[in-house]
Amino acid sequence: MRDAPSFDDFYRTTSARTLRYGRAVVGDPGEAQDLVQEAYARAWRQWGKLVAHPAPEAWLRLVVSRLATDRWRRSRGWWLAINRTGPPDHVRPPGEDSVLLVGALRQLPVNQRQALALHYLFDMSVEDMAREARVPTGTVKSWLSRGRSRLAELLPGISAEELEVDDVA
Amino acid sequence: MSRELSRLYRALVEETDGRALMAPEQLRRRADRRARNRAAVGALAVAALVAGTAAGAQLVRTSGPGTPPGPPAGTPTSARPTPDASSPVPSPTMTRATPSRTPGTSPSAGPPSSRTPTTIPDRAFFALAPANDAGIAAEFTPGPVLPELCGAEPGGSGIVQRRARVLAYKLTGTPAGYVPDGSYRHSITIYRAGRADDALRELRQAVRDCPLQQVPDAPGVRSTQRLLDDGGYGDESVLFEVRTPYRDVNGRPTGGDELRLVRAVRIGDVVTVLWEQGWENTSSIRSQVDADSRRAVEAIRRWWN
Repeated sequence: MRDAPSFDDFYRTTSARTLRYGRAVVGDPGEAQDLVQEAYARAWRQWGKLVAHPAPEAWLRLVVSRLATDRWRRSRGWWLAINRTGPPDHVRPPGEDSVLLVGALRQLPVNQRQALALHYLFDMSVEDMAREARVPTGTVKSWLSRGRSRLAELLPGISAEELEVDDVA
Repeated sequence: MSRELSRLYRALVEETDGRALMAPEQLRRRADRRARNRAAVGALAVAALVAGTAAGAQLVRTSGPGTPPGPPAGTPTSARPTPDASSPVPSPTMTRATPSRTPGTSPSAGPPSSRTPTTIPDRAFFALAPANDAGIAAEFTPGPVLPELCGAEPGGSGIVQRRARVLAYKLTGTPAGYVPDGSYRHSITIYRAGRADDALRELRQAVRDCPLQQVPDAPGVRSTQRLLDDGGYGDESVLFEVRTPYRDVNGRPTGGDELRLVRAVRIGDVVTVLWEQGWENTSSIRSQVDADSRRAVEAIRRWWN
């Protein structure tokens, strides 16, 4: 039996963070909304088990990441069939900084975007990231290092020195 | 930490926080409605498949002038080869097995059942090992049972009945509640006497004839197909791989290949196919596919005996 109040609490306390993560990984705000809501819909369907999960928010991020990867790979498959909610009625236009960052992130592989999002949005340690992604810590360091080096190339005015690649080592 | 990059991420957060997600009650209602719709569609598809199979069997039974009449229901036929493609479909109950046209392909493990079933019950489909059970019920759905192979349709004729399901699994060691590590498109097809080996031969040829193909809906992306050495499964088996480059959101290669393994195994006049489809961004793991192939063959043997 699924407990709706506990799911609602979980949703209210985590959805803003998850949406930020989705936005940083997916780029497009509307798609990020759809994808995050799809992840929560899956969470609700499995809530009977997930409620006892040691890290349900990490589980959600993993679903978001995999959906993000899947989104373009099967873009003409089931993804187009899910209910799109569309943007809210009143949305501020994206700022210049967001446009710059999203444009650069879109040119990075998904795993590098995930690692950068976990680092900059959640201030997560390399060890925690590796645990969540179930990869060695060296892999996470590589994703971060490569991701930031690539961002340095893509973002005007940000030098590689400013990115301080070693600060997560 | 880079202050500049942190500032850009903060800007992204501020902008994202201005967007609203639906209320939790609404999300739950929508998720439940979709689950109900999916279940209804699945039930309809199964009903349509059953009806279609029954209608198809009826058509074959009454096919063409000069077609010998089929045996009465429940009456065993002789164990004689029936190479004529228009030979009657086995009765709805059981018929005597008809030897394969391929010499030397008697079942490798234990004596074969003397009868080939003509209906496929749920128990013919293998159960995952407890350590691989992802806790997600399998869904029986119509649709392709093999990946695209340059438009070929191996094993598409001589079918008596086919059932197929989608089955998610997890790897041993993945904690319960995590998203699955992979999924199978798993089918069982009963062929007319002696046609199952044709199906495997056609499949081998289709893979050989299609070493490279365009990936549907991915302009400029190609997959490679090749046969792999295989043996020890059922009476005979075909194993092949499909490799597709991993790509980023813009479709550009990011290095490495996504690997899909597909194994078709013949057991008498029955062919079971395990098409490992991954779970979003995972690749097939040979040892897992091997283990589940063995379980699939064992389940079919148990079904017969």
